[in-house]
Amino acid sequence: MTSAGRREDASARSGPAAAPTMRAGSTYGAIDVTKSFDDVTVLHEVSVQFQPGEVHSVVGENGAGKSTLLKLMAGVYHPDSGSLMLGGETLGPLSPRDAQRRGIYLVPQEPRLMPDLSVAENLYLGALARRRFGTVAWRVMNEATGGMISSVGLRVDPRTQAGRLSLAQQQLLECARALSRGCGIIFFDEPTSPLTAHDAEKLFGLMDQLRGQGLTLGFISHRLDEVQEISDRITVLRDGAVVAREERGTATRDELVQAMIGRKLSVTRRAEPGRAPATGVLMLDVADLRIPPQVNGMSVQVRAGEIVGLAGLVGSGRTEFAETLFGLRLPAGGTVKVAGRDVTGFSPRKCIDAGLAYLAEDRGRSGIFADVDIARNESSAILARLPRRLGVFIRPRREQELARDAAQRMDVRASSISSAIKTLSGGNQQKALLARWMLAKPRVAVLDEPTRGVDIGAKESIYQIIESMAGEGLAVLVISSEMEDLIRVCDRVYAVYEGRITGELGGSDITLEAIGHLVVSAS
Amino acid sequence: MTMAKEAEPAVRTARNIRRGPDLARLASRREVLVAMAIVVVIAISTAVHSYFWSSANISFIFADSIVVALLALGESFVMLGRGIDLSVGAIMGMSAIIVGFRIQNHGMTLLPAIALGAAIGIALGLGNALLVGVTRLPPIIATLGTFSVYSGLEFVVTNGNQVDTIPNSITNLGVHTVMPGVPILLVATLPVIIIAAFVLRYTTFGRAIYAVGDDAEAAYRAGIPVQRILFSTYVIAGLAAGLAGVVFLIHTSGASSTTGNTDNLSAIAAALIGGTALTGGRGGAFGALAGSVFLSATLTALSYVHVSDIWQPAGVGVLVLLAVIYDSRGNAVRLPRPHRRSPKEGRPQ
Repeated sequence: MTSAGRREDASARSGPAAAPTMRAGSTYGAIDVTKSFDDVTVLHEVSVQFQPGEVHSVVGENGAGKSTLLKLMAGVYHPDSGSLMLGGETLGPLSPRDAQRRGIYLVPQEPRLMPDLSVAENLYLGALARRRFGTVAWRVMNEATGGMISSVGLRVDPRTQAGRLSLAQQQLLECARALSRGCGIIFFDEPTSPLTAHDAEKLFGLMDQLRGQGLTLGFISHRLDEVQEISDRITVLRDGAVVAREERGTATRDELVQAMIGRKLSVTRRAEPGRAPATGVLMLDVADLRIPPQVNGMSVQVRAGEIVGLAGLVGSGRTEFAETLFGLRLPAGGTVKVAGRDVTGFSPRKCIDAGLAYLAEDRGRSGIFADVDIARNESSAILARLPRRLGVFIRPRREQELARDAAQRMDVRASSISSAIKTLSGGNQQKALLARWMLAKPRVAVLDEPTRGVDIGAKESIYQIIESMAGEGLAVLVISSEMEDLIRVCDRVYAVYEGRITGELGGSDITLEAIGHLVVSAS
Repeated sequence: MTMAKEAEPAVRTARNIRRGPDLARLASRREVLVAMAIVVVIAISTAVHSYFWSSANISFIFADSIVVALLALGESFVMLGRGIDLSVGAIMGMSAIIVGFRIQNHGMTLLPAIALGAAIGIALGLGNALLVGVTRLPPIIATLGTFSVYSGLEFVVTNGNQVDTIPNSITNLGVHTVMPGVPILLVATLPVIIIAAFVLRYTTFGRAIYAVGDDAEAAYRAGIPVQRILFSTYVIAGLAAGLAGVVFLIHTSGASSTTGNTDNLSAIAAALIGGTALTGGRGGAFGALAGSVFLSATLTALSYVHVSDIWQPAGVGVLVLLAVIYDSRGNAVRLPRPHRRSPKEGRPQ
C-alpha cells in the first residue's frame, strides 16, 4: 500500500466517526441560464436565487422546466449559456460529484439507494469507515449512522437493508446522506408525490428544522397547498421562463394557478356551448375502480361518439387507471364494462376482443416493435384475424394491403409500408400505432398521451384522427397532461387528483383555468 | 420535423408493395451469405485436396450436419423469442440413449423409434417450458439447470453400458443417398425445416414468436399471450432435440453417457451463423440448416488440412464469437441512431 493510500484511509477513518457537521448553506443562484434538448428550449434565460435559511419553491406545469432547473444546479445537466453563482463565486462546469463536494445535494424524485446494502453502507457509500488494514469499521460506522439518521427523524437499525425501507424512509435517508456529506444546499425534486399526507408532513417537519439551522433549501411540487404552507419564496416557471416571483403570503392560490397556466389558448375548442350533449350508447362504464394507492375509486363513463378527457398531473393515477381497464393490472375493486359487458380483470387479449383498445403512454418501450416493418407493427394486435390460406397460413400481401389502407387513413407518412417503424418520426410512429388499434375495430379507444413526443403538425393531424374516430361512433377516452390537447378534442373532461375524480367539466366550462384548478388539489 | 419530411408521399401504392425482393436485398439475406460462404469453403478445400469435391465427401458433410441442423432448428424457435436453451444437447443425448437401447436390446424398428425420440424430447422440453414459461425463471439459469439434470440422467440410464450395435437396416439410412452427394437424411429432414419455416412466417403462432422476441412488453399489450408462446418454443426445442437423438443414432450408430454434451454450443453456433439473433425477433428456419452445413463443411475442411479433431470445440467457439461480433457490427451500421439518447442528457418530462 502506498503512503498516499494510507493517508486516505486515515482521513476516511476520522470522517464518519466525527459528529455530523451541519454546514450552513450559502446563497446559490442561477443567472440567465438557458438549456435546450435537441431543438426544444426547456429553460430560457432563467435567473433564480436560493437563500440560506429559506425554503424556496419552484412551481409550474409539467414541462415548465422545474426539474431541469434543479438538475442543472446540481450538476446533472450543463447550461448552454448563463452561469451558476455560489456565495459570490462563479462556478465552472459542474458534475454531480463536484456539486456535492461544494455542498449542493439533489434529493431525486425516486430515491437512488442501493437496495441490497444496509442503511449505513448507503449513507457512507464510497467513503466507508475503515480500520488499519483496510477492513470496514462496521461498529464505528453503524453507531455514527444511528446518530445521523435519527437527526432527520429516521428511526431504523443502521444494518437494515435500504430496500426494506418505505419510500418516505428512503427519502429521509437521502436527506441524511446530504447532511452527512456536509451539504448545506439541498434540493428536493417533487419529494412528496409518492408520499402519503402523513409522511409528507414529516418531511416538511424536517425541512422546517433544516431551515432553522440555516440551510438553503429548494423544493419542487405540483401541490400548491403544500407549496404555500412550506415556502418562504416561490418562483413560477412557465414554458421555461420565470413568470412570477412571490414571497410568503403575497400570492393566493388562484394567482399562482393563473401564473402557471396564464397564456392564450392556441387551439380551437371542440366543445362549444351549441353542441348537443352526447346521446350515444354507453360504451365504457367504469365504476369505483380501485388499485390503492394510485387509484382510489374512479368512475368514468364514455358514450359512443363521445371524446372524453382525463386530465391529471404525472403521478395522479391516470395511467394506472388506464392500464387496469386494459387488464395490465389487477384491480382491488370496482368494475369495468365495455359495451355493457363486464371485462374486469380480463387479459389484454380478451379486452381487445371485447372491443377495447389502449394506446400506451410510452410508445418506445411498450408500443412499437422497433425493428419490425410498419405493416407487421399494425397487424400485431389482430394476428388471429388476418386473412389466410387454408385457414392456417397468413397471406402477407393481403396483410400489407390492410395495413396500407389503415396507414393511409391515419395519414402515416413513410416511403414504404415495409420500412422499419423506427425509421419514422415520432408523430408517424404514433399514427401507425393508431392504425394498429383501428384495425382491431374497437368500440372503446383509450389513448394515453397521444401527442407526446410529436411535433406540432402531427399533433393537429392526430387531433383530427381522434375526431374522425369519434365520428365513426367510437367512444374515445383521451389521457393527457397537455391541457390544450384536452380542450382541443374533448366533449367532456374529468380531472384526476391522487387517484380520485375531482371534477367533471363540459362544453365551455373546459378552460385552462378550470382544469388547472382541479388537477392541483382536491378542494 | 422539416418540411421536406412532411412532403414525403403517404404510404406507397399496392403495386409498389407487390414488387418482389430485389437482388441487393436477396444477397444481403443471411442464408444466401452463408450459402456463398459454404461454396467458398468447398472451393478452397477442393483446390487443396481434390478428394474434397467427391460425392462421398459432400454427402458426408450434409449427413453430418443434420443432427446439429435439427438442434439448431429447435434452438432457433427459442432464440427468436429472445430465450436460450442450453439443454438441447443433453435432451438429444437422452433420446439417443433411450431409443438406442430399445433398438439394440428390444429390436425396435425405425418408425416407433422416431415416435419414442419425439416423445422423450417433448417430455424433457416440457421441463424447460415449465421453468421458463410458468415459473418464469431466466432461461439461461433454467436450462443450465436442466442441462445438468438431463446429462446427469444420461449416466443413470446408461448405467455403465453404451449403445454400440445398431442394426444395418437403420444405420444404412445415414450412408445411402438419393443421388450422388445428397444423403437420404437430408431429404428426410428438409420437409421438417420447410414446415418450420412456414409455421414461423405464415402462422399466428410463428408471428407471435417474432413479436415476443422483438419486444415482450409491446407484444403483451398487443394481446399476444407471451408466456404461452415462450412455453411452446421450449417444447418445440425439446421435440427437435428428441428427433436429433434418433438421427444421431442413424448417423453414428452408437451413443454413450456423454453424447450431446458438446452439441449445445454447436446448435447455438449454427443458429447464430444462420442469422438468428441472440436478442430475438430476427432469423429463421433455413438459417439453422445453412449454419449447420457451414459448420460441418468448415470442420471437415479443417480435418482435410490435418488439423486434429481436438481443435474442433475451439473452432466452434471462434465461429460463435465471430457470428456475434458480425451481428453487433451489422446492427451498428444499420441503425444510424434514430433517437439520440445518452444516459445523462435524457429529455426531461
